[in-house]
Amino acid sequence: MTAPDLGGAPTAISVDSALSCVDIHKSFGGAKAVNGATFSVPKGSITALIGPNGAGKTTVVNILSGSLSSDSGRVMMGDTDITALPSYQRARLGLIRTFQLSRELGGLTVFENLMVAAKVQPGESLMNVYLRPGLVRQAEKESRERAASILEQYGLYDLRDNWARELSGGQKRLLEISRAVMAEPSLLLLDEPMAGVNPALIDRIGGHIHELKAAGVTVLMVEHNLGVVEKICDHVIVLAEGRTLATGLMSELRENTDVVRAYLGGVLDGRVDR
Amino acid sequence: MSELFLAIGFGLVVASVLALSAVGLSLQFGITNYINFAFGDFMAIGAYTSWTLNTGPLHVNIWVAMLIGGLLVGVMAVLLNRFLLAPFARRFQKLFYILIVTFGLSLVLLNLVSSIWGDEVQRYNISNQAPQHIGPFLFTVDQLVVIGIAIVAMLAIHFMLTRTRIGKSMRAMSDNSTLAMTSGINTGFITTLTWFLSGLLAGIGGTVLGITQASITPGSGETFLFVIFAAVIVGGVGSIYGAMVGAVIVGLATEVAALFIDPSYKLDIAFAILILALLFRPSGLFSRPGKA
Repeated sequence: MTAPDLGGAPTAISVDSALSCVDIHKSFGGAKAVNGATFSVPKGSITALIGPNGAGKTTVVNILSGSLSSDSGRVMMGDTDITALPSYQRARLGLIRTFQLSRELGGLTVFENLMVAAKVQPGESLMNVYLRPGLVRQAEKESRERAASILEQYGLYDLRDNWARELSGGQKRLLEISRAVMAEPSLLLLDEPMAGVNPALIDRIGGHIHELKAAGVTVLMVEHNLGVVEKICDHVIVLAEGRTLATGLMSELRENTDVVRAYLGGVLDGRVDR
Repeated sequence: MSELFLAIGFGLVVASVLALSAVGLSLQFGITNYINFAFGDFMAIGAYTSWTLNTGPLHVNIWVAMLIGGLLVGVMAVLLNRFLLAPFARRFQKLFYILIVTFGLSLVLLNLVSSIWGDEVQRYNISNQAPQHIGPFLFTVDQLVVIGIAIVAMLAIHFMLTRTRIGKSMRAMSDNSTLAMTSGINTGFITTLTWFLSGLLAGIGGTVLGITQASITPGSGETFLFVIFAAVIVGGVGSIYGAMVGAVIVGLATEVAALFIDPSYKLDIAFAILILALLFRPSGLFSRPGKA
């Protein structure tokens, strides 16, 4: 883990980072959404990306995942420069994301939602489908077993044959995370995973995020609920006006006057910022 | 009574032609979210390519010619998407503009077909066949082959969509392309494959239309396009299974209706079905959420 870097705008990138971005800029028309964001996500950590509304958090996540291209700057996954890669190639490298508003493939069943997220399989090639059916069947069988196991773990197994669009909001959130897990991520970007879910489910999702960390997955999550950040994150990045304001532990950031001033108008007390 | 069975029998043949075409149109719509008005002209190019192979010096068997014509239209569809439609779709987010582009493409292709093959009515080099009794129905061998091709194609598409990762990726992309991409699906490849399949089915559909109607003209695909629209809208725009069911409904309805009205009004029956569907169930029998 990298040492906390408090105060000012950090520019140094840790060598032991799972993901890093350097001097990212992005404008929409005349509005600068991201203005030189630079940070790194320590390997194996659960890192929170926090900041006031309009700080550029979701734009940064979109750029990191490849859903949006930056105007300038670099995105590195470990030692690999992924700036120019489209999002599907980043996903195949293990960088998987979820969205602020849960997105599901509504016209597919819960089970199929997981099956399409399985890592590259021989069944992707039409040649394999028709010429090597045994190989495809074996890979499909393994994927099915894995999908069933993940659905069991996330409490969705009994809903496996339901259309994903029929799930409740909380179930859709769990489906989104379980689909991300199915893709065997090495790095998971969660955009407000606790948004709009009840407190019991927040605990459950927090537990799943810890399980992922234990399995070696690095997690970067955008989160407004500072109580959750305090409880489950071991590293925090603060964005303000599209720039990195500070990085470190939540307890340390509470003492940082720049962060306190920029973030909550003077109070960092762990309450939910809504 | 025997006339009714005759009409139902020919209705099944028309439904087969419609199913091939309507599924081709729906596959592409599901991925790109816009209607390709040049689809009828894709059919005409497939029909004329088969005709050239079948009646030219090579005398290629009509079914082999149909397959070659389909493959050629598949490749043409991929190239047209790559170099014409996709750049327009990227540049202009509004659906209206890309619809105008496909409409313009349709006019260009129609005139291209006319200038290459002429405007006269052409016929395939296939022998006259005596119809055979299959239960209460009467079919020629060619008509049975057309029905067989449609059944095999529909089963293959069903197998692909439900059992293969490519098919599931197509459905995922049709549902939410951003999410599909961030889940690791190569959406560019899926788009290319879909255009190829759509073109392949258009090419095959154009040839079997020419076989069942015993003639081809440059505008036969365009005229048939509105019957295809009726089948697609009855089934539910963008739904592959809806297109299959819509094809059967429209195919049977137009042929059975011809028992009671002047057969020259068959196309109007398709229009009437289209209007009724839009009035009473605009989302179709198998509506899909999120699609126009």
